[in-house]
Amino acid sequence: MGRKTEITNLLANLPRLGAGLAYREPFRDQLLQKQPEVDFIEIIGDHYLDAPPELMDELSLLAEHFTLLPHFTNLSLGSAEGVDPVYLEKAASLIKHLNPPWWSDHIGFTRAGGVQLAHPVPLPFTEEAVDVMTKNIITARRAIATPLIVENVCSPLIWPGAEMSEAAFIREVLSSGGCGMLLDVTNLLTHTANHGSSPADFLAQLPLDRVVQVHFSGSHDSSGRLVESHAQPVSEAIWKLLDDAVARAPVRCICLERDDNLPPLAEVLWEVERARAIGRHHRRWN
Amino acid sequence: MELALQQKLVARLASDRAFREEFFADPARVAASEGLSLAAEALVQIHHEQLRQLARVLRRRRLAQVGVQLPLTRKALGARFADLFRNYAVSPAPGKHPYEDALGFARHLEQHAATQGLEPQWALSLVRYEAAQLEATWLGRRLVLRCLPHAVKQLAALLAVGDVPAGSYQRFSPALWWRASGSSRLKHWLG
Repeated sequence: MGRKTEITNLLANLPRLGAGLAYREPFRDQLLQKQPEVDFIEIIGDHYLDAPPELMDELSLLAEHFTLLPHFTNLSLGSAEGVDPVYLEKAASLIKHLNPPWWSDHIGFTRAGGVQLAHPVPLPFTEEAVDVMTKNIITARRAIATPLIVENVCSPLIWPGAEMSEAAFIREVLSSGGCGMLLDVTNLLTHTANHGSSPADFLAQLPLDRVVQVHFSGSHDSSGRLVESHAQPVSEAIWKLLDDAVARAPVRCICLERDDNLPPLAEVLWEVERARAIGRHHRRWN
Repeated sequence: MELALQQKLVARLASDRAFREEFFADPARVAASEGLSLAAEALVQIHHEQLRQLARVLRRRRLAQVGVQLPLTRKALGARFADLFRNYAVSPAPGKHPYEDALGFARHLEQHAATQGLEPQWALSLVRYEAAQLEATWLGRRLVLRCLPHAVKQLAALLAVGDVPAGSYQRFSPALWWRASGSSRLKHWLG
């Protein structure tokens, strides 16, 4: 069996989870009461490394009620310095403890030269950067048997000296790293809108057969630029792109991210339900 | 190795305001002083405005994360929370976890209050209360005690329901956090 077929089969056997939510602490008690309306919870894995016992209690409580998907930022899979082995070991321990169907991080870097960045910064679209991502992904996959999926990032910065398009870069990373994709449609829309390209064209060039999970969230306009703030209701443009993506990619779940300016949980769950209906319409789950 | 140096340069440019503006004024000199001449040559065409926007994106993300760690302080200061954070976040975050950044910002607010004052005065008690909570939660301290000169419990209750407290709220508030051992659960008492 070819390597590509092997990976495609691995991804095809992942469970169909449905629609869920990125966990935010203020929703905790209400979420436990609304368990039937949330198919899974995504947690920020970085927050639970070296965590105090009471935070691990919270995690155990969530794990009793929901399938948990750990999502990381600080492994920094795009760092040319390599993955921090101590951090990777801690992440591996958490993932083993949670036993999720998959885990995720980003196509970018958050650490360089002793500087820690709060959000993944993109890579130059070069063969050297593909090699760096590939090496780090393989290191992570050796340490963590659970399937890894990696997320497209959104950034105002485009590095000079690109040797390929961004979509081609993502295709190469996924292919050589042997992992799935977490497609963030809000990142995609924001990134293409701010750089004057077409979200539909970008979507069409992505390896959609590798998409396992989709992120979506609200954004807002700031001085003529879109900002993926995770702090607003989801716009119709994002709903449309989400529908297009789910129609074409074999997604196993859709996850809403709402980080700030939190509305009543009912409003958030309405967006989760709309996403679930999109997945159902395209026969991604029942 | 070339990419490692380029990432080091971009990370500094995106997170260190003084370095960024010095670099834009004289890229060759500043890069040479940091041993990043090769990286700077490769990035000579980098778009300065894109880097400034990236810096804003990263600062906004830090602001959101720190706001989650210091919810009462954020409510107490309102829009000034973001203004004061902008002055603090001119250099990189002190660590990987948002609590480290929140503690750094709390120290910045203490210094700001000492030199320029902070209104309302009770806001500083909330800053100290939340910083102590983070220290007790994350730094493995077995015992943390704070004696605060304002009615923290009452202020917290008002802010939680969206009220804007008016008045001085001067009242001694002892706050205590303790753990029996490193692996036991944190206990808290606020008088």
